[in-house]
Amino acid sequence: MSFLLEGLIKAIHLLLDMDPETYSAVWTTLQVSSGSMAASLLAGIPLGFFLGYHDFRGKRQVRIVVDTLLALPTVFVGLLVYAFLSRQGPLGSMGLLFTVPGIAIGQTILALPIVVALTATAVEGLDRQLQFTLVSLGADRLQLLTGTLWEARFAILAAALTAYGRVMTEVGISMMVGGNIKWHTRTITTAIALETGKGQFGMGIALGLILLAIAFAVNLSVSFLRKRA
Amino acid sequence: MAEASLYRIRRLVHAYEGGTALRIDELAVRRASIVGLVGPNGSGKSTLLHLLGFIHAPTDGTILFKGQPAGPFSESVRFTVTLLPQESYLLKRTVWQNVRYGLQLRGHEGGQQDRVREALQWVGLEPDRFLHRKWYALSGGEAQRVALAARLVLRPEVLLLDEPTASVDALSAQRIKEAAMRARKEWGTTLVVASHDRQWLYEVCDNVLHLYRGRIFSNGEENMLFGPWRQRGDGRFETHDSDGASFVVDPPPSPDAVAIFGTDAISVSCERPSREQPCVEATISRLLWDRSTGQVIVSFLAGSRPLSARFSAEDIAEKQLYPGRTVWIGYDPGAFRWVE
Repeated sequence: MSFLLEGLIKAIHLLLDMDPETYSAVWTTLQVSSGSMAASLLAGIPLGFFLGYHDFRGKRQVRIVVDTLLALPTVFVGLLVYAFLSRQGPLGSMGLLFTVPGIAIGQTILALPIVVALTATAVEGLDRQLQFTLVSLGADRLQLLTGTLWEARFAILAAALTAYGRVMTEVGISMMVGGNIKWHTRTITTAIALETGKGQFGMGIALGLILLAIAFAVNLSVSFLRKRA
Repeated sequence: MAEASLYRIRRLVHAYEGGTALRIDELAVRRASIVGLVGPNGSGKSTLLHLLGFIHAPTDGTILFKGQPAGPFSESVRFTVTLLPQESYLLKRTVWQNVRYGLQLRGHEGGQQDRVREALQWVGLEPDRFLHRKWYALSGGEAQRVALAARLVLRPEVLLLDEPTASVDALSAQRIKEAAMRARKEWGTTLVVASHDRQWLYEVCDNVLHLYRGRIFSNGEENMLFGPWRQRGDGRFETHDSDGASFVVDPPPSPDAVAIFGTDAISVSCERPSREQPCVEATISRLLWDRSTGQVIVSFLAGSRPLSARFSAEDIAEKQLYPGRTVWIGYDPGAFRWVE
C-alpha cells in the first residue's frame, strides 16, 4: 500500500510545482467540458421545456427514448462519433477527429439526454397554475418559457450538475475521439487511465485530486448561487 | 360607435379529454359590469373564466373582445384582461417581485414602487411589513391577497376572479371583496366572479349566471332537483332525500335527470295547501336582497334540498317571511324542465 502514499506525496509535488503536463490535461478538460456543457444546456433546456410542457402525439414514446439515452455507454458514443468524424465518415472532411471540439461533440451527445430528461421532469413537476398565472399577467410565449424555466431553476441547476458530473468523469469518448494526445487532447481522465497503466500512480492521484477539486468548486458556486436566488 | 359589449360569445364549445365541459350559444358581457357565476363544482365556471381570460382557446366557437376576435397571447387582451385562479400561484420570489412581475412584462419601469405599494394597501397588506417577504412566509389568505395585488397593480380593464374567497379567512375574504369593488369603482374594471358566496354575488352583481353541466341556465337562481327518480303507483315519479322531503314529478326522461324550475314556479304559504296540491314543508334559511332587481331572494331548505324564490319587499313583510320560519312550498309537477 506504500505506493499509494508515495503517489499522494508525488501528487502534492506535481500540483505545487505547477507541472505543465498535469496542467495541460486540466486545461483541456476544462475546455472540453465547458464547450460540451454550453452546447448541451443551450439545446437541452428548450427541448426539455418543450417535452415537459406540451402534450403531443407520441410524447410518451419520445420520453422513453430520452430516458433510455440517459444510460448511453460512453464507449458507444465514442464509437459513433469516431465513425462520423473519421476520414471515411460523413463528417470526415471537417477534420474534427483527435481534436478538442471533436471530444466536445461526443460529450454533448452524452450530456444532452440528461439535460433534456431532467429539465422535462422539472417542468412537468411545476404547478399547472403557474402557466395560468404567467399568461394572465400578460406573458408572451417567450416570457412564458423564461418565466417557467426560472421557476424550475433549482431543478434545472441540478440537471446541469448531473450532466457536468457525467461529462467530467467520462473516459470512453475522450479516449476514442480525442486519441489521448499529449499536450493536445489529453484530458484528466484519459491521463489517469494512461498513467495508471504505466504504474505512475503519483500523476494519476494528482489528476484525480484536481478532478475532485473542480467538482467541489462547481458545487460550491452552485450552492452560493442557490442561496442568492 | 364603441361596442357596448366587452365580450360577445357565440356558439362556444370547450371540451377536455373527459368530454364537453362548456357549451354556450350566446353570451354578452357589458363594459364595467359585474357578472357573477354560480353553480356546483364541475359546472364549467372555471372553464368559462379561463376562456374569458384567454388562457385557453375554445375548442369551437368565437369569443369577441371589444368586437374583435381574440385568443391566447393576442395583443388586444394580453395587457387588459387578467385572471385570479382559484388556487393562486405565487412565483418563488419575494412579495415585491411577485406584485411587480406583470409591470415588468409590460416594460413599465417607472413608478413601480408606488404602484406596488398602492396595490398591497388595497388588499390590506402593509407594504413595509410584506414587501420583502418570501413566498413561503405568507399564510394562505395573505398569499391570495398578494396574488390579487399582482393583478390590481396592472389596473386591468377586466378582472376575472375564480372563487377568490373560497379558501381564505374572513378578514382576507373581506379585503379581497373590497379591493375588487374598488377596482370597478375607480377604474371601471369589468368583473366576472365565480363564487359560492351567493349573498355577496347578489349584493354586488349586475347579472348572475347560473351554470350547470357546462350550460348557462338563466341569469337568475333557478332551482334544481336531482334524482334518482322512482316510479310511484299512480304513474308519477318521486325523489326522496334522507330527511324525508319528497318531490313528485311527471315522468322524467331518465332516472338520473335533473329537474329545473324557476323561482316563480313555486308558491309559498304558511298554511298547508289542499291535499291535491303537491307541496313540501320547508324552512326559510336566509333572505338576500338582489341589488339589480330590488327584490328579495328567499332561500329555503326542504329537508336538505336548497330552494329559492323571489318576492317583493312588501310580500316579505305581508307574509312575514323570516329565517327560521316553517312554510309550505307548492309546485306544479308538470312545470319542470329537464336536463339529462
